[in-house]
Amino acid sequence: MTQPTPAVEIRHLVKDFKTSFKRQPLRAVDDVSIRIMPGEVYGLIGPNGSGKSTTMKALLGLVAPTSGECSIFGKDSLKVDSRNEVGFLPENPYFYKHLSGEETLEFYGKLCGIKGVKLRGRVKELLELVDLSGASHRRIGGYSKGMLQRIGLAQALIQEPRLVILDEPTAGVDPVGSREIRDLIFKLKGQGITVFLCSHLLEQVQEVCDHVGIIFQGKMVKEGRLEDLIAIEDQTELVMKDASPELVARIEEMIAKDGSASLVRSGKPRTTLERLFLRETRKQEGKN
Amino acid sequence: MNPLSQTLSHASRIGVIARHAFTQLVRMKVFYFLAFFAVILIASNFFNLPQHEGPESAGINILRSIKSWSLGAMTLFSVVLSIVATALLLPKDVEDRTLYTILAKPVPRLDYLAGKLLGVLLLVFVSLAMMDVLMTGILHLRTNMVLADQMAMAEARSWPAADIALLKSDILAQGPTASLQGAVFSVFLRATIIASMAMLISTFSSSTLFTTIISFLIYFIGHFQADARAAYLTQEAGTSDSFWMRGISLLISLVLPDFQLFNVIDAVIEGQVMPLMILGKLTLIGLFYFVFYVIASWFVFARKEF
Amino acid sequence: MTQGKRYAALALAILGMGAVRMPFEQALSKELFAAGLLPPKLEVKTSERIGQTFSAVSLGGLRTLVATFLNLRAFSYFTEQRWAEVGDTFDTIVDLSPRTRYYWDTGSWHQAYNAASHYLYESKLPALRRKLGWRESILKGRSFLERGIRNNPGDPVLRERLGFLLADPNKIAAFGDVGKAYGDSYDAYMSAVETGSGRGMAERFALYSLARIPGREKETLAMAQRLHKEQGANTTTMLSLLYTLGYHQDPTQSVAALIDSVFPSHEVAYDVLTGLWLRTRDRFPVHGVAQGIALLEVELKVPAEKSILKKDLPSPMNPDDYFQPNR
Repeated sequence: MTQPTPAVEIRHLVKDFKTSFKRQPLRAVDDVSIRIMPGEVYGLIGPNGSGKSTTMKALLGLVAPTSGECSIFGKDSLKVDSRNEVGFLPENPYFYKHLSGEETLEFYGKLCGIKGVKLRGRVKELLELVDLSGASHRRIGGYSKGMLQRIGLAQALIQEPRLVILDEPTAGVDPVGSREIRDLIFKLKGQGITVFLCSHLLEQVQEVCDHVGIIFQGKMVKEGRLEDLIAIEDQTELVMKDASPELVARIEEMIAKDGSASLVRSGKPRTTLERLFLRETRKQEGKN
Repeated sequence: MNPLSQTLSHASRIGVIARHAFTQLVRMKVFYFLAFFAVILIASNFFNLPQHEGPESAGINILRSIKSWSLGAMTLFSVVLSIVATALLLPKDVEDRTLYTILAKPVPRLDYLAGKLLGVLLLVFVSLAMMDVLMTGILHLRTNMVLADQMAMAEARSWPAADIALLKSDILAQGPTASLQGAVFSVFLRATIIASMAMLISTFSSSTLFTTIISFLIYFIGHFQADARAAYLTQEAGTSDSFWMRGISLLISLVLPDFQLFNVIDAVIEGQVMPLMILGKLTLIGLFYFVFYVIASWFVFARKEF
Repeated sequence: MTQGKRYAALALAILGMGAVRMPFEQALSKELFAAGLLPPKLEVKTSERIGQTFSAVSLGGLRTLVATFLNLRAFSYFTEQRWAEVGDTFDTIVDLSPRTRYYWDTGSWHQAYNAASHYLYESKLPALRRKLGWRESILKGRSFLERGIRNNPGDPVLRERLGFLLADPNKIAAFGDVGKAYGDSYDAYMSAVETGSGRGMAERFALYSLARIPGREKETLAMAQRLHKEQGANTTTMLSLLYTLGYHQDPTQSVAALIDSVFPSHEVAYDVLTGLWLRTRDRFPVHGVAQGIALLEVELKVPAEKSILKKDLPSPMNPDDYFQPNR
């Protein structure tokens, strides 16, 4: 059986930027490789300046790699036709203020080659999807931040792409708006659309993504399925419901009797992505 | 995709971006001010400036004045608009980050550049057309007034019919003629050249101000290009300081356009006829610059990183 | 391709493109100069030229627009009677816009007519200075027109203006030799006719100038007869010429017969001939006019006291009379 084409394939991406002051170029992305299969929701997390945006831009052909390759559904990012299948929502999206919401979507649709009745239908559909049908005739200049994010998402979806790239989709959005965007991402996932997002709001990434990559100072530090990563490897979790204290005591005894295992903690277990992140980055910092 | 449908899709994308750039510029208040100013200039021709002339040339000077003022306003407006509008389009998109959303779509960078430039040129063209209508209207009215006056004078002095006919054709030659429309089109061609060059400069300069200043400089020095070219071609090689003179003259001749060619507009204002061949050649030059500079801009822009 | 190589390639491409189009632009430039569609290079000094070009470019690249502004300035100098400035400004104007007939016409008008008239009637300078100023202005006006003709060889109107100026009875004294002035006037009018777009009247005016050159009566009569036949002109001057030159050709012929052959009636003949007799300032030939008037006065029974022949004749303009110290 042939392997399906990965939605995103980034192989050993390296990007150097020349700075005017030092002779030494700044290495923004250092040998990053990412593979996202169709249907996955992948979250790229890292602090500001870690190379997230640069990686995304390289994938979109906005930036040319110093070495390495990027491709979308098998098509090289440096070629225009790789962008047929992708929709992009940039960080703090800005659209032409003088257009209305509806006109904005029509504009992008026309750029993708959609015309006439089909375009109008699609625009209407998307406006309903992002819940902006009421504000579609207002100028973008009057939109709130949340509305801008939503129209941005609609614009990213205008040509029914199989891959959607979201750069900080919930940054600066209020909790309600944030929730709405999260629900939208789930909807997309349900339709089989691949989502590649980057964020530094770790809680939200945890809610939505099934794969995660941690990038720090240009290097990919940790990558894999979210579930696997969050799990603490050498520990086993046993979450019981309505367990009596006697039962718990008996289990603790069994553990104590075992030679290799030991009880770490009992109570209400919980760990967070945040802890993992901090642990990993401290580990990396210690290495440098 | 077969080549025909590929070309069509390029054309339609360029059309979308051009129309969009057009509406973006039109909705900027600056444009309204400029247009208002230009219209005032041209409409002011309706009033009389102090004229001093012998009775037999009464009125003809007014016609030339109208043409001179109007074409001057058109030139000023079209050059300023071409430079400023082109200079701000790209940096604005980059600053507003709308560029990312456009280039993230399957839009080739060449289409993007061509579309933006064509949007500016469309705006210049439409504005010039409107000003042309205004000028031609006023000129037509005035010419008829002058004609009536002069015919009456000639009849009162019992001029022979042949002489009256000569006078009439003299006056009509100063009024709205086909050559005058050719002159307006030449204004448009000149604006096309300077806009195309401004586009190239804006691809490697990220500052609107820088692009604007350099473009105005090019426009100014371009009027001397013909002199530099003449200096290069007539100077004798050999002496040491003439080497530098030749070098600089050559550089100016090669890099800058010859805007002096467009001074045929002056000749048309004076009442001469612009042959169609000349207009054709000027159009060819304009087209040549446009195509070259769009491709050159694309060359720089294609590898630009955002 | 590195950034540096890219820019180098671009620079080369621009230079190459320049090399390709330069011959085309050069050829077109030559063509336009030859066709007179581009004005010849500015004659003024480089610094003035830069200043003018700067104004031209900032006014929209149009030299004609700068000329228009300068024209307004010249007008205000004119109202202030600053003739030197008027002259200088017009020199600049025609430099910018040499193919505009109006500027040559008006510029020479200001010198030969307005300035001269100022020196004649209004100036408070001593008589000799006024006379010199008067003469100089007229000569300046003449040379300005002649320059304009050189710049606009196909234009008939400037030539006509020159012809008119040279034959103007109020100005002719400034030109020295009167006969030569009339000769130049005739040449100017004929050159206007030869441009091919001249008015029919230009030829008639040429005739009038020719008539006042002593010694060319035969030529004048032939031309007068031709024009009379071709154009059917019956102006007073034409009739006068036909009469006087006809008389000059054959002084022995019958005056009465001549009168009848030229004039439609004796009343008309009397009007025309007496008018001609009194019109000394115009210096038209008066051969046989006294005889004709004498005959007609008898015929029309004009009383002797009212005879035109007894009246004092105004003398042609003489600058020495006009520029008396005690005026």
